[in-house]
Amino acid sequence: MPTLTIDGTEYEVAEGRMILQAIDDLGLLMSGVDIPHYCWHPKLSIDGSCRMCQVEVEGMPKLQIACNTLVTDGMVVRTDVERVKKAQRGVMELLLINHPLDCPICDQAGECTLQDYAFDYGMPGARTEEPRRPAKKAMDLGPTIVFDQERCILCRRCVRFCREIPKTGELGVFARGDHSLLELFPGTELDNPYSMNVADICPVGALTTKDFRFKIRVWFLDDVESICNQCSNGCNIYASRSNNRIYRYLPRRNDSVNDTWICDHGRLSYQLIMENRLTEPRVSRRGTSYADAVRAAGDAVRAARESGGSIVGVASPFVGNEDLFVLKQLLEAVGAPAATFAVPRGESDELLVKTEKAPNASGARALGFEESDASPGAVAVALVLGHTLAEECLKGVETLILLDTENCSLAERADIVLPARSFAEKEGSFTNHAKRVQRFRPILEPTFEALSEGEILQRIGAAAGLTGWTASYDVHEVSKRLSETVAGFDGINLDSLDDQGCELA
Amino acid sequence: MSPETQRKIEALFPRYPEKRGALLPAIYLVQAEKGYVGPQDARALAELFGLEPVDVWEVLTFYNMFYTSAQGRHHVYVCTNLPCSLRGARTLLKELESHLGIRCGQTTPDGRVTLAHEECLGSCGTAPVMRVDGEYVENLDLSEAKRVVDSLE
Ligand code: SF4
Ligand code: SF4
Ligand code: FES
Ligand code: FES
Repeated sequence: MPTLTIDGTEYEVAEGRMILQAIDDLGLLMSGVDIPHYCWHPKLSIDGSCRMCQVEVEGMPKLQIACNTLVTDGMVVRTDVERVKKAQRGVMELLLINHPLDCPICDQAGECTLQDYAFDYGMPGARTEEPRRPAKKAMDLGPTIVFDQERCILCRRCVRFCREIPKTGELGVFARGDHSLLELFPGTELDNPYSMNVADICPVGALTTKDFRFKIRVWFLDDVESICNQCSNGCNIYASRSNNRIYRYLPRRNDSVNDTWICDHGRLSYQLIMENRLTEPRVSRRGTSYADAVRAAGDAVRAARESGGSIVGVASPFVGNEDLFVLKQLLEAVGAPAATFAVPRGESDELLVKTEKAPNASGARALGFEESDASPGAVAVALVLGHTLAEECLKGVETLILLDTENCSLAERADIVLPARSFAEKEGSFTNHAKRVQRFRPILEPTFEALSEGEILQRIGAAAGLTGWTASYDVHEVSKRLSETVAGFDGINLDSLDDQGCELA
Repeated sequence: MSPETQRKIEALFPRYPEKRGALLPAIYLVQAEKGYVGPQDARALAELFGLEPVDVWEVLTFYNMFYTSAQGRHHVYVCTNLPCSLRGARTLLKELESHLGIRCGQTTPDGRVTLAHEECLGSCGTAPVMRVDGEYVENLDLSEAKRVVDSLE
């Protein structure tokens, strides 16, 4: 492996990589080794147009761009010399010559690389007084994106994204030199299932999403690591929250899952979390306290056991591995067969979107549950998670206990109803289509009484008087037990998982 | 584009190591046929070359001598680079604008003349210079310029 020395520190890097790529491979880019860059992006082709990444390479008379200079064994690179700093100041000055300097009204402020680099690598003032070149403000590019042409620094990241990732190629940089402008191909719109990623990769405030634009200043947000729950790809995301509200999802890089992208549908799905929530515990279709509903469910399970009535479990591909594991244990404790589950399906594409429109069907399979949309027939008690199974299938159920997040029609029919927490309100893990177990963390505090499915089932088990069951619940404990019990999960639990997840054995 | 133009373009392909290399001459051929290369033509070219329409559009808009919309029957380009400007080219251009009733870059409503400016034509010794349908008109003064423009059909 070639060695590369940067500012006196030696690194072992992979063969055939550019300087910037090699540093990014090591996870050190801008966090350990600072080489500022605009046009380079880890998941796009190399452009070499912004000239911000210039470094000094021993033996080469001129500064080189780190994004397009191949590492050779023994290469010695300096970023801390005056020559490099001067080049960076020069590039910053050029980039800002036509910039409107309107940070106070720009939505990118606070997470803008132009702002950041201007502070870190630029000059304190401007030397030009000439008017900025004319460009358009707040152009509507399509259903999702607004474009402030004045702020564009022509890094062409968005252009390359559209060409290389969704392969739709709506954007281009047209005309030449000082006249160059980013525009749509005449007569088209920026309208593809991944369009909003351009706002993430735009290093400045030129491209913003209609959804998030002007909603909140980004410094009021904190980003929680989570997983999109809209299909079995399990894209890694950050949920940006403030005041117990989610303002947006952003893709979180995971090279084994979603690179640095998410689909627009997934991105906007934070809006669904609070939609039509089931908020009221019910017994026999009448509102009651949470404790009462849990007690009633426990009683029903106990009565069925005592009278020899059959108990079945219907799992959901929307709940976490830990919730499913408690269901598995409960069903085993009452001598019931393994749960079944149904999976909603839809369109898929070649990039990220998968047919299974739920995050954890693989988890349900890994826990030994069987996919089926058949009716369990005539049974005494059914413990039903969510509403993926058609309502008619549950006609023969004497006592239907429903744990759900949504106020669906099944909740009208169920005998005992327990509001559950959405994945955004609890901690746990999903197993994606490729059997990668990935953590999600609590983002929101529930605004009404609700527990995770795992905790509800734990309490029902305790209320039913199952041997060894107490009402106390700790998702980390459950996860540990899961990893000790279920084949494939060896060593994989909430405490062992890092932010990139881990594939089942 | 006509089948004839398409045939001519396809005949260019073997002359370049990469098909893409034939893009500039291909654009010329389309322009020679239609007088300009619009979005639809760019799409057709992209198809022929296996490129994205934006690729073609980026090339097309990079060069001044390609037109993306219909032009006048005659092109009048006034050089406004330094030597010509020193010899009065900018005033001349302004005068031509008001004479024709259009701004630089526009076409007369009857589609007769497109007026534009241009960088150095390499004929500074005979400044000011304008290019009319590819022919140089040199050592201009205003009345000569007007006479030439008026003589265009
Ligand atoms: S809009 Fe943003 S991403 Fe696109 S070229 Fe301009 S600065 Fe780059
Ligand atoms: S591809 Fe699937 S998991 Fe990824 S963002 Fe879209 S819906 Fe969510
Ligand atoms: S990042 Fe290297 S030239 Fe832009
Ligand atoms: S400046 Fe006009 S021909 Fe050179």
